[in-house]
Amino acid sequence: MGIIRLGVFGFLALAVIFVLVSIYSRSVQREKLEDVWDEEVKTGDRDAYIEDGLRDYEGSLRKKLIWLVFVIPTVVVAGLVYVTNFW
Amino acid sequence: MHYVKWTFRMLLVTFVFSIFHYTLVQHDIVRVTNTEVRRIDFGQNSIFWASADTGSDGTTANRDVRFIEAFYYTGKPMVYRNEDTGFGWPPYFKLDSSNLQAEARDLVSSKDAPGWVSISHYGWRNEFLSIYPNAVGIKAVSGPDVRIIPWVNIVILLTLTILILMFRRMWLQFRERSIDPVLEDVGEASDVARSHATGLWGRVTGWLGTWRSKP
Repeated sequence: MGIIRLGVFGFLALAVIFVLVSIYSRSVQREKLEDVWDEEVKTGDRDAYIEDGLRDYEGSLRKKLIWLVFVIPTVVVAGLVYVTNFW
Repeated sequence: MHYVKWTFRMLLVTFVFSIFHYTLVQHDIVRVTNTEVRRIDFGQNSIFWASADTGSDGTTANRDVRFIEAFYYTGKPMVYRNEDTGFGWPPYFKLDSSNLQAEARDLVSSKDAPGWVSISHYGWRNEFLSIYPNAVGIKAVSGPDVRIIPWVNIVILLTLTILILMFRRMWLQFRERSIDPVLEDVGEASDVARSHATGLWGRVTGWLGTWRSKP
């Protein structure tokens, strides 16, 4: 039953990391948008510019890449099982 | 206070180092002389044993454990246990103890015609606790002086360093964006509080300071 326990707790741990990385990535994006507005744009509504930029971010490749948080450890574990036992 | 701080740090570093030293893979060049199975009654040393074969009943008080007996080039003996780690700690995902035992049996050699093998393992041999390193893999090598580069450990330690730096950055970003603005709003009160208590350690030293006799 070890494999089920690893699956459940591993998934929970990765879910926490996924949320944390998502928050971090969004925060970095917002900071970048703020800086761009402060230094280059300087005209129009600052909040609207930032909201607009974050909406673009929602559909971006970088946001989708955060799913690798789940993919990479799963692949690594499967690879380790193979290398340790059948290689 | 200085000494308390450094003792605490040294203990922490020793503890972390011990965990890595126990868990990371190491390679011994040895000559295998025998393989055997012994029944082990786990006692105070039970934390230093892995798990029963995957799929079998792991709740029994004792069980048979496979052992591999070997000698170094120097003539010093070393005994390895050969247990499944299954899907638990440490994460070797070793399920093939029986196969490994067969390979080890196949590589047995005599003193007169030594066949050198590299046994990868984790764990410690300690006579006081009767604990043994757990063999993970075995392969024949050309001689007792081959050089083995620990690629696995290099990759693991590099990855861990990168992850730690990543989480540090994430924490700094969170503090800069979410905690500092709040503290700035609180105003001068926070400056006073922070000059006294910088982090957890500051609070501990602050508390210890209250026990000191006033001059």
